[in-house]
This record gives sequence, C-alpha cells and structure tokens, in this order.
Amino acid sequence: MNFDLDQEHLDLAAAAGEFLAGSASPAAARAALDDGAAARPGRAELVKSGYATITVPESAGGGGGSVLQLAVVAEQAGRVLTGPSLVSFARAAVLLDGDADRLAGLADGSLAVAVVDDSGPVLDAIGADTFLALRDGALVCGPGTVTAREPIDATRGLGDVELGQTVVLARDAGERWQRAERVGRTVLAAEGLGAAAYLLEMGVAYAKQRHAFGRAIGSYQAVKHLLVDVYVAVEQLRSLVWWAAWAADRAPGELPLAAAAAKAAAATTLEQAAETVIQVHGGIGFTWEHDAHLYWRRAKVDRFLLGDDVAAFDEVARLAMREATR
Amino acid sequence: MDFDDTPDEAAWRAEVRSFLEKHHPSGERPRDDPDAARAWQATLYEAGFVGVAWPQQAGGRGGTPMQQAIVDQEMARLGLPALINLIGIGMCGPTVIMHGSDDQKQRYLTRLLRADDLWCQLFSEPEAGSDLAGLRTRAVRDADGGWRITGQKVWTTLAHLADFGILLTRTDPDVPKHRGLTMFVVDMKAPGVTVRPLRQMNGDAHFNEVFFDDVRIPDAERLGEPGEGWTVALTTLMSERLSLGGGGTAVGPKPEVVARHVAEHIGALTADRQVLARQQLGRGFVAALGARYTGYRQLSKLSRGEFPGPEASAGKLSGTQSARDLTDLAVRVLGDDAPIGGGPWQTAQAVMPGMAIAGGSDQVLRNIIGERVLGLPAEPRADKGVTFKETLA
Ligand SMILES: Cc1cc2nc3c(=O)[nH]c(=O)nc-3n(C[C@H](O)[C@H](O)[C@H](O)COP(=O)(O)OP(=O)(O)OC[C@H]3O[C@@H](n4cnc5c(N)ncnc54)[C@H](O)[C@@H]3O)c2cc1C
Repeated sequence: MNFDLDQEHLDLAAAAGEFLAGSASPAAARAALDDGAAARPGRAELVKSGYATITVPESAGGGGGSVLQLAVVAEQAGRVLTGPSLVSFARAAVLLDGDADRLAGLADGSLAVAVVDDSGPVLDAIGADTFLALRDGALVCGPGTVTAREPIDATRGLGDVELGQTVVLARDAGERWQRAERVGRTVLAAEGLGAAAYLLEMGVAYAKQRHAFGRAIGSYQAVKHLLVDVYVAVEQLRSLVWWAAWAADRAPGELPLAAAAAKAAAATTLEQAAETVIQVHGGIGFTWEHDAHLYWRRAKVDRFLLGDDVAAFDEVARLAMREATR
Repeated sequence: MDFDDTPDEAAWRAEVRSFLEKHHPSGERPRDDPDAARAWQATLYEAGFVGVAWPQQAGGRGGTPMQQAIVDQEMARLGLPALINLIGIGMCGPTVIMHGSDDQKQRYLTRLLRADDLWCQLFSEPEAGSDLAGLRTRAVRDADGGWRITGQKVWTTLAHLADFGILLTRTDPDVPKHRGLTMFVVDMKAPGVTVRPLRQMNGDAHFNEVFFDDVRIPDAERLGEPGEGWTVALTTLMSERLSLGGGGTAVGPKPEVVARHVAEHIGALTADRQVLARQQLGRGFVAALGARYTGYRQLSKLSRGEFPGPEASAGKLSGTQSARDLTDLAVRVLGDDAPIGGGPWQTAQAVMPGMAIAGGSDQVLRNIIGERVLGLPAEPRADKGVTFKETLA
C-alpha cells in the first residue's frame, strides 16, 4: 500500500493549478455575479487545455487518463472557483462510453454537455447545448431549453432544463448512470477540497496578521481552535477524495461507499470552512469585495449537488450496515 | 498510489492471518486477565508479530511500519483485544530506543516486547497534567552519583502491574521549567515506591497514584542528559499520539462493528428514529473512514522514512471524536431500554471521556496543531523566562 500522490500527480497538480489560476479567479466569480459575465475559464478554454477531458479515451481525442488525475486537477479548479465544473465532463465521459462520435464531440468542444438529474437545477446548464438524462431506465440525449433563475453562485451555471427531442443512447443504463453519478460525486468532492483548502489558507493568513487587544487574533484559542477543526476536516476530506478516486479507477466495489463518503464530507467541510473563515475575518469577511462570500456561495450550492449531504450520509449508513451484516 | 497490498505485503498478511486464526485465545478476553494477556503477547512475540518495525538490536524484527500495521489490522479484524503492554510498546520502548544506553536497550527492550516486563509512563502529577513541564517530583543527586526521588505521580495507567516505568522528574528548579527536567527508568518494585489504584468513571481501576519516597535510582538508569528531560519526553508524547491516532489504528470500537450493531437494532426503532440513527451512523462512519485513511497517509509517509510531525495529533483528535459519536449511537439504538440495558456499549461509552483527556486533551492537541502545523502565534505565557522556583512563588 502506498496511499500518497506520485510525482506525476504532483506535477499535474502544479501545471493545472498554474493554468486555472491564470484563467479563473474569485474576482471573475464576483464579476459573474455582478454583471452576469460568463464563468471562467469557460468551456472552450477548459476543453482546449485538455484538463476537462482527461478521462475521455485517447481514441476519442481525450487524455485517456484516470479519475484520480481528474480529481487532482479538480482540486486546483476548486481553489479558484473555476467554471464550468469538471463534474459535468467527468459524468459525460462515463455516460458516453462507447459512443465514439459524441465522445469526440466532448473532447473537441463541439458538444457542450450538461447532465440532467431527476430534481433540482442542472449544473452547467447555462452554455450547454446537449443534455443527458435517465428516462425510464434509458440513457437519453438531446437539446433542451434552459431557464436561468437567481443563482446564488454564478460559477455553477445552474438553470432549469426542459428537454427537447431526445434520442435513446442506451437502454438499461441504470448502472452506468450510477457509476457516472459516483464518479461525479468524487470529482465534486475534489473541487470542494480545493475550495476548502484555499479557505483555510485564507483564514490562517488573516489570523496571523490581524491584531486585536494587542495580540494577533490567531493566538486566541477561540479563533485558533476553529481553524484547527477546519484543518482536520480538510485533511480527512483529502483522504476520502483520494480513496474515492482510486476506487473509481481500481476498486469498483468500494466506489459506492467511497463516493458517498467523499460527497458528504465535502459538503460539510466546505460549508464549515466557509462559515469559519467569514467569522475569522469579522466585518471584512461579510463584504462584497472580500473573496470569502464567493466560496461561501459555492458551499451553499455544492451541498445540494448530486444529492445533498443528508442523502449521502444516509447512503453511507445503508451501505455500511449492509456490508457489516453480510 | 495504491491501496492494494504489494505481493510482499499480501504474503505477510496471509502469514499473520493464518497464525492468528490458529492461535488466538478463545473465550475470555485476555486483557481482563493479566497473566493470560502476558502469555498471549509472548506467543505473538515469539511468532514475530510484536515490535515488527523495531530494529533488531532492540529485540524487534527490523520490519516495516506497514508490516506492523498489517498485524494490527488483522488483530482488529478478528476482534482481538489490544496487547497489554501497549504503553510500553507505544511510548516507553520508543523512548528507550531513542535515548537509552546500549546497556539499557539490551536489558529492557526484548523483555518489554515479550511482556516479561510491563511498563508504565510516570509523567502526570496532581499539579501538572496538560502543563506537564510544571511537574514537581524532585530528583536529587546522592553522594555516590545516583539519584533520590521524592514526589507523586497520578493517572498512571498500569502502574499496579508494571515492572518498570519512565519517570520524568525535576532536577533543577533554578532554571525555566522546561529546562530543569530529567528522565529516568524506574524499577517499580524498588523500595519507596507505593502504588495506589484509582477507580475510573467506567468502574475499572487501570490507573493509579504513585508515590516516591526517597527512591534510589542509579545514574545508569538515566535516559538522556540531566536537564534534557523535556526533549526526551517529547519523543514519548509524539510516539503516544502516533500510536493512539495515526498509522491506521484507532481508539474505540471499529466503525464496522457499530454498523453491525445498528443494523441489528434499527428495525425496532420508530421511523423518525431510524432516520436519525442513519444520519448519525453516516456521520460517524464518514469521520471514522476519514481518520482511518488519514492514518494510512501517515503510514505511507513513515514507510518512506519520513517521520510524521505534529500533524499526527490530528488523528488522535478526530479518532477520539468519531469513536465517541459512534459509541453514543450504539447506545441510542437500544431505545428507551438503554439506561438499564446498555450493557457493554454503555461500558464502552464510559471509556470515551477519558480518551479525550489522556495523551493530551482535545484542547491541548488543538493548540499543538494550531501552532506547529498551521503556524498560528502561540499564546502569551505567564511563565516564560521565569525559573521554576519563581513560578511556585
Ligand atoms: C484514561 C487516562 C489514562 C492516563 N494515563 C496516563 C499515564 O499512563 N501516564 C501519565 O503520565 N498520565 C496519564 N494520564 C494523564 C493525562 O495525561 C492527563 O490527564 C492530561 O494530560 C490532562 O491533564 P490534567 O488531568 O491535569 O488536566 P488539566 O491539565 O488540569 O486540564 C483541565 C482542563 O483544562 C484544559 N486545559 C489545560 N491547559 C489548557 C490550555 N493551555 N489551553 C486550553 N485548555 C487547557 C484541558 O483541556 C482540560 O479540559 C491519563 C489520563 C487518563 C484520562
């Protein structure tokens, strides 16, 4: 057993981090909220970079890489609130498996895909032209009409989707759908990890620099212990994300539990990190200009994506009980 | 990155598993009977499964931390109780390995691993727990170069059974408190040592008060230089937090065992209680998995020869919390009957408050992580730069 990233993963993280930080940022996320600007870096650039389609097979023009590689990139994407989400690409890559033409479209950017779940607004609906959904057990695909409402986080491209004329891509696609959802949960958790880890850095830096009553506020235990609890949660989330990504690539039997655990931990950890970091910043943390609320918005949206945290904890419990009584 | 056993690890696991399945003691939990527990540890030692990662010169096997973790995992899989000499193996032994003389290593370490001798850790005092360096037990040089010890220790786990202990004393009250300490190995059967068991809130009597009344310790039993006791103690405390939280082991019941227990009882609960129980199980289970896999990450670091630093404290902190939540759930699913029919689960629950105190309280661990991992500024200290004598005044 060697539960750590290889040098190759670390290099990938560094390169992806550099690209993403150069094209997306909290400032861009704020602009999107302010004047409806599009999320950055946007589909075209994300596809062109190759990072979005790491898990699409090479034969279709993708990277032919692993879910773990995608997760490593997703962590970097989460740090700077990149949009659209790598989750949409990850799910599409699984759902379109075997469909060489559409996969090629995903990889060359000619298909802009979003995945429609049974309920709730659709992630990355804005800007998508092709929608995938599960209808009566069949995987269907087609255009749709998108209605935007009042997104609390403009980087998620959320909208209501009315499907148009669809074609059936696969019957009995329930299992494939579930796998796509679990891979999606894993990548979502990786984005959450990046956002939460960045928040922690932000909070720690401020706690060192801001003084009150003649001392740095980070020397007060009430502040210090809040940040430590975030640190512990972030490190545990990191472990769960790596485990889930590894399971997606190598141990499908462990994926259901691992993906649900990672999703649940990401939802609660990102929220805890965002609330904590705003608190640690005091009044500044509550201003529009400060970045904290942009991450807070992510947290408040992400906890509902791909089933909420309540559903994920419930799934963990059911799987754990089933496994324990086998 | 790979969770699977390497071929070597798989072979080792198979060897461990087949041995344990053949030889593990059935019936009574050996931990409850000290003689049986010693015999079981000796059996395991002879088979090469205790002190696996210790150097061969220290009586160990010279193996890897991963091999040791595999032994621990397989023991846990069979539900075998922890070894009796855990404090010796986890804390005292590593301290002797790091700071002891060759002669001390020779005399003590193999016997410790085989449970010929049980060990205890004599640090805490009535006036010095979290603020350990404030301890008062005095060690004074006598005419022939040895030391005379007078003072009191408290909460000393296993002192009533122990043959030896590592003892932290004050040798110089005229310097700031961290600088005047010295560590010794003490013979618990020496004249002047009195051990008085204390009953714990869970009903057991596993820890004790220990009194030292002019106890003589030869200079050869010193661990490290005089005045360097704090550095030596840090080795012990680091090893303690690793053995309590890191490396893939955990305190409390295994989450899988709680999950089975919940599965057996959840059907009898009302629908709303079932939802609540699943939420609590989900949360506890996710936290326990997070702690477990974070432990594996530390193990991977150890295997590469890196020594996990203060971040190992996080495993103890979070492992304790999830164990506490999960045992609470295990009691809860017994329903209204729990207060009078809680049985072993209620007993297990009554251990948990102690886990959040022993080996560094939750608050102290947060301070350590906050300051040493996150680099947050230390709290101002009233005793800084002041001699120990002055702090007493
Ligand atoms: C089950 C058990 C087994 C033990 N076994 C051993 C053993 O074998 N050998 C041994 O030497 N000791 C042992 N101990 C003692 C243990 O190490 C101490 O109890 C522990 O370090 C706390 O010290 P204390 O009890 O004096 O509490 P105190 O230090 O008096 O703490 C009281 C409260 O104040 C808080 N506090 C103290 N300082 C700070 C601070 N700076 N910031 C914030 N909060 C603070 C603590 O968190 C705690 O809540 C054991 C304890 C238990 C419960």
